[in-house]
Amino acid sequence: MNLAGTIQTRFPDWPLWTLAPVALLAGTAAVFMGVVNMPPGEVLNVLLGHGSADARLIIGDIRLPRVITGLLAGIHFSVAGLLLQSITRNPLADPSIMGVSQGATLAISIFLFVAVYGFNSDPHVLYSLPVQWLPLVGCLGGGLAGVVVYFLAMRHGLSPLRVTLCGIAVGAVLHALAMGIISGWGTARLEIVMQWLAGSLYARSWDHVVFLLPLTLLGLLALPLLRRPIDMLRFDADVARSFGLSYRRQFSIILLIACMLAASAVGAVGPLIFVGLVVPHLARFIAGRRFALVLPLTIFLGATLVVVGDLVGRLIGGSQEIPIGVVTAIGGAPILLSLLRRTP
Amino acid sequence: MKPAQRSALLAAMALALAISIGFAGLLTGAKAMTLPAAVAAVLSPNHGLDGVIVWTLRLPRSIAAFLTGAGLAVSGALLQSITRNPLAAPDLTGVTAGAVTVIVSCFFFLPAISSIYYPPIGFAGGLAAAAACLWVARGGQASPLHLALGGITISLFLGGITTYVLLLGGPQSPSVLFWLSGGLQGRSWGHVGFMLPWVSMGVVGALLSHRIIALLKLGDGVAAGMGVRLRQWKLLLLLFAVAPVAGVTPVAGPIAFIGLAVPHLVRLMKPAGEAWSIVLNLALGGMILVLADVLARTIAAPRELPISILTALIGGPFFIYLVQRRSLVTAGAGP
Repeated sequence: MNLAGTIQTRFPDWPLWTLAPVALLAGTAAVFMGVVNMPPGEVLNVLLGHGSADARLIIGDIRLPRVITGLLAGIHFSVAGLLLQSITRNPLADPSIMGVSQGATLAISIFLFVAVYGFNSDPHVLYSLPVQWLPLVGCLGGGLAGVVVYFLAMRHGLSPLRVTLCGIAVGAVLHALAMGIISGWGTARLEIVMQWLAGSLYARSWDHVVFLLPLTLLGLLALPLLRRPIDMLRFDADVARSFGLSYRRQFSIILLIACMLAASAVGAVGPLIFVGLVVPHLARFIAGRRFALVLPLTIFLGATLVVVGDLVGRLIGGSQEIPIGVVTAIGGAPILLSLLRRTP
Repeated sequence: MKPAQRSALLAAMALALAISIGFAGLLTGAKAMTLPAAVAAVLSPNHGLDGVIVWTLRLPRSIAAFLTGAGLAVSGALLQSITRNPLAAPDLTGVTAGAVTVIVSCFFFLPAISSIYYPPIGFAGGLAAAAACLWVARGGQASPLHLALGGITISLFLGGITTYVLLLGGPQSPSVLFWLSGGLQGRSWGHVGFMLPWVSMGVVGALLSHRIIALLKLGDGVAAGMGVRLRQWKLLLLLFAVAPVAGVTPVAGPIAFIGLAVPHLVRLMKPAGEAWSIVLNLALGGMILVLADVLARTIAAPRELPISILTALIGGPFFIYLVQRRSLVTAGAGP
């Protein structure tokens, strides 16, 4: 009883209970508030299927898909981060540290350079950008980077430390190459890439939602099946094997799922730095010893944080909105640095 | 052969190679030159078309490339000695990113500030980033992974800010972006004079304190036991390490992997003592960047490749190889 009491005081319940209303409020606010000041009654009208054509355009085609894309991307990043942190046994694993984001960046810049501009850097020609292809290309690039990291690390038996270091190395190389290509062609149509590179939910449409949603469902539905392997992989390889786990196969499957989630989200909204890193830590902090809650909380918090971050960026920046990636970079770095400082 | 003689020979060979590559670079370009014409042009400064091309376009550019590579390599060697960490380098500890972010911000938000002040501004930014990174890595006592993770975090953070500033900048961004990918296009004598004091501050400082560096390599405890004041010397050496980066970055942009790869190459040559190691870093770093610069402007001529692509292609695999070595993982216990 005494022990239960201490657990109660160390891990109070109130964050759990306040979280749901806060998230609901944030989601509603993200739909109701924006650069265009629209009375709440009109927004409600649109949501119920009425409203003027203008209002329907703003809410139905701009704000709503944007918020939903943000929700899905947040889930992707945070679940990928949780998976990577579990299997690499590294509290600091994250898609942008593991080279996935940089791989997607490189793929997109090569795609634009070769397919769209055809080596032509004449700034006076306007090209129509095939924006709808960017998510798919980014997803392929990120996945490919994940595979490269995986094979480089596999040569020495997939030790968690090795995976992390290989991720950093590959990521640094890919990033340097991508920056070189982006700046090398030097056209006037740079903003799209820059906007994407900063990680932005600007002008995300239903296409993006349709692209992300199947992958989200696939990833989330696979998680219950993988619960036991994920728990086992937290142990040393030898210990996990002694429980009867085929270490290498399960490690590979989970790494693949994490890469798929992260790469598709990077492709759709750009690299949202640190979301995958900070959210699982927050979830663990709030869940305390209720381990079963970590995964649902991660999904929940990831979605909420991205939507709130986007709303903050939209409202503070006004017409020059602050990209969500910048908001997460500024908010996440101090948390990450203090975490790093504390780990021995 | 004595070790010192061997080191001197190696340094002389690297220098000779740098000069001959640089000379070969004089021959190529929009107006190709024959060897005798180039020799004549070098001997008669600013006389005739060839003389002008060589003395105002191609020669200062190659010298700027040499200084850039030398500065980055010496900076990397110093950082690796201070932290006793094989993964320390200007770009991996956030020094370059720190310099870039403040310079880009100045360029957009305070256009009144002349570019003469960019090195001191970049110096402050780089120093702040390095200090944050060293704070995270507990002054180099933590594992290599720690320093690398701290550096990458700081770089990502600063990169986010730089991207946002570029987005705000609008039409000016492409020119800044070309600079951001590292390039020596159109660098003149003014730029060389601009870099020289900062690079030489780092090099001369490192040469003067080579005994301390040798002691620091033995470990903090041993160095303290031999009477080295750790705090003061580490801070001073950090200043020497950041100075060349601060001088190089405003001119050539962030150039990746030179500061990481060259000190390791030098270590493979087994230099006789720290002083020779620094000289070799200077010669080899300069040589590699002169080569990269000549390649960058000849491979895809008349278009110019950003030099960072080449250094990433040269240095990147080296970085991956370094990470693959078993010793690195066993040296640091990891988090």
